[in-house]
Amino acid sequence: MKRMPILPVEAYTSQEWFEQEQQQIFSRTWCFAGFMEDVANPGDTLAVQAGLNNIFIVKGRDHRLRAFHNICRHRGTQLIRAVGKGQKALTCPYHDWTYDLEGQLISVPEEEKEFPNLDKSCLGLKPASVDIWRSMIFVHPDPNAGSIMNWFGDVEPYLGSHQVEALVEYPEAATSYEIQANWKIVVENYIDVYHLSHLHSGTLSMYDHAKAEYGFVGPHFAFWEPLNKDYQADIEKNAPMPLIVPMDQLGASVPMLFPGLGLGESETSWSTFRIIPLAADRTRVETRTRVKKTSDWEFQKQEWRSASYWSKHISGKYPADKNSDKDDPMTSGDFVAEDIYACEQQQKSLKSPYFEIVATAQEGESPVREHQQIVLDYMEGRR
Amino acid sequence: MSPHFHTLTVSDIQKEMKGVTSVLFTVPNELKDSFNWRSGQHLTLRITLKGEEYRRSYSISSSPFSDDPLRITVKHVKGGTVSKYINEKLTIGDQLEIMPPLGQFCLDPASTLRRTHYLFGAGSGITPLFSMLQSALLAEPYSRLHLLYGNTNGDNIIFKQQLAQLQEHYRDRLSVSHVLSKPSIWSSQGYWRKGRLNAEMVGEFINEHPPYAQDAQYYICGPGQMNTLVKTALMGLDVPAKRIHSESYGGQLITDEPVRGMAATVQIKLGGTRHNVQIAEGQTVLAAARAAGLEPAFSCQAGVCGACRAQLIKGSVHMKARIALEDDRIANGEILSCQALATSPELVIEYRGDT
Repeated sequence: MKRMPILPVEAYTSQEWFEQEQQQIFSRTWCFAGFMEDVANPGDTLAVQAGLNNIFIVKGRDHRLRAFHNICRHRGTQLIRAVGKGQKALTCPYHDWTYDLEGQLISVPEEEKEFPNLDKSCLGLKPASVDIWRSMIFVHPDPNAGSIMNWFGDVEPYLGSHQVEALVEYPEAATSYEIQANWKIVVENYIDVYHLSHLHSGTLSMYDHAKAEYGFVGPHFAFWEPLNKDYQADIEKNAPMPLIVPMDQLGASVPMLFPGLGLGESETSWSTFRIIPLAADRTRVETRTRVKKTSDWEFQKQEWRSASYWSKHISGKYPADKNSDKDDPMTSGDFVAEDIYACEQQQKSLKSPYFEIVATAQEGESPVREHQQIVLDYMEGRR
Repeated sequence: MSPHFHTLTVSDIQKEMKGVTSVLFTVPNELKDSFNWRSGQHLTLRITLKGEEYRRSYSISSSPFSDDPLRITVKHVKGGTVSKYINEKLTIGDQLEIMPPLGQFCLDPASTLRRTHYLFGAGSGITPLFSMLQSALLAEPYSRLHLLYGNTNGDNIIFKQQLAQLQEHYRDRLSVSHVLSKPSIWSSQGYWRKGRLNAEMVGEFINEHPPYAQDAQYYICGPGQMNTLVKTALMGLDVPAKRIHSESYGGQLITDEPVRGMAATVQIKLGGTRHNVQIAEGQTVLAAARAAGLEPAFSCQAGVCGACRAQLIKGSVHMKARIALEDDRIANGEILSCQALATSPELVIEYRGDT
């Protein structure tokens, strides 16, 4: 059997593997659902798919979040659409069964005639777990999932020192795009330390990859690297946006929280990189970014100040010439485009009879192997 | 449950402020296990003054997670014989008869739990809350706390300095909001709201401090009226009842309200048998049962240990003290028979054993 090098190639191509992962991994772990600002007020709702479970969150009048499985107790219809604001009650569109914000069934149309013996008190929505950590909302399908710190507590000390709650979202920076590759290819690209100096030679040179410190803490990957000397020497001028960490804590923390939630915690921005499996060979990535809470004018000034540095330090992997396609990721100078390209090119090769992986980098690709082992452990019931 | 009294030595006495004294105890090694306490529990003292025996219960104000010794904090209440004695006469080296810690109004911290604790206190109701607050800060590092604390004025705030220091030290995890009913214009003590604690304030307090950790818990300790008010306000915001924990007057005890009770007939169900027993005016249900030769479980006779708990099925009683019962148990008809005076001519009660 061909391996990648730990997981079999089928793990990246077969529908059966994909469905098993939805069950064994994504239905059994904490799932990122959004930022705390997404459900700011009582009655606000937010729905998210966590593996096989659609779960919605509602903020109660006591400002506490509740999470329920998004299934009407009548015929199972999904109650809540993606986002709702200020709702007083939750009504299923199909037959107007209505629940209060505690998930209790409070009204059934024509109850006396159609359901003379219905005990509404036994038909509350099924609860799930919800918590907020580092400004992010997470849900878990199991109402007794326990403390979220059992899941994130050990890795937390290895993350950035950012006060995430004090940062504000920069909505224009949000992105959503589809990659024609398996979700694990996207994760492996994110945690592949070896590729940073090569694929991104023109786009991520402001970090000193040779000094990166990284490793797994439980199922989560922690990664930190310092700024390169030139960039740091005049950081207050060179930073593209206002700084968000103290001068003695400069650097980038780029962890990958299992399963498939990357963070990009840099000196100027804090981002989520959410990897959503769509099919064996299709993955959606959604990013959202938080920045310093300050005026547009401060951002503008910083952009002007740093423009000369960036014009000299960002370039394509290959130089563009008059014959090159203007959309070629290899000349784009955009590290995201470079990564997408690499992921899709790798996925394309998986079905070739000549595909094989014989050698992987001892250190720089060790996270790739370890992540595959963690996935395998989940799939074979060892985790 | 059969708690016993043990002799403990007063190791130190600290004047918290005028009329409020903390008493620290040395616990001998052989009693260490019995005197392990949970934050929110109280100690029962047995003391004989001028030939008369008194039992009083006071909340423990120190945390089992700090290095502080066992400590109660006692406010001199008007007409309170024991609290007056403790505030004015008790000295270091004195020995007191004390029962091991009791009580179910507790905050038990755990290192990986991540909760938002809301504490509502008034006056000396702060004592158990102060222990809870320290425990959560020390032993539950992922959790946050918000204290709403009502007093008459800035001079009446027990643990004022300590709270300010904790707030400074744990800036990201603790907020303290003072409500003063009659703030002195000469005082520099800042406050969050002026007036008596009311439902609107409770709502505004939650709005200003929405839970970050979503496992929110609510603890209320003050006079009964305040507890009802806060609990009602919280439930009005859809806080589930199981998240609300309350205790009336944090161990202050003992409400010697002038209720004499009345003569009554009580049907007592004990061990599957029914007995009809007469109660004299001023006699407790437990005393009447024992006088009739029945032997229900009991122990402290101070309304503290809960051993004599019974279910009131018919009629009404007045309880002189009721620290062993959380408010919602009382609402469900549980009584402490050692404290229960009849206030209706016919009662039906049942001893159901330890539940």
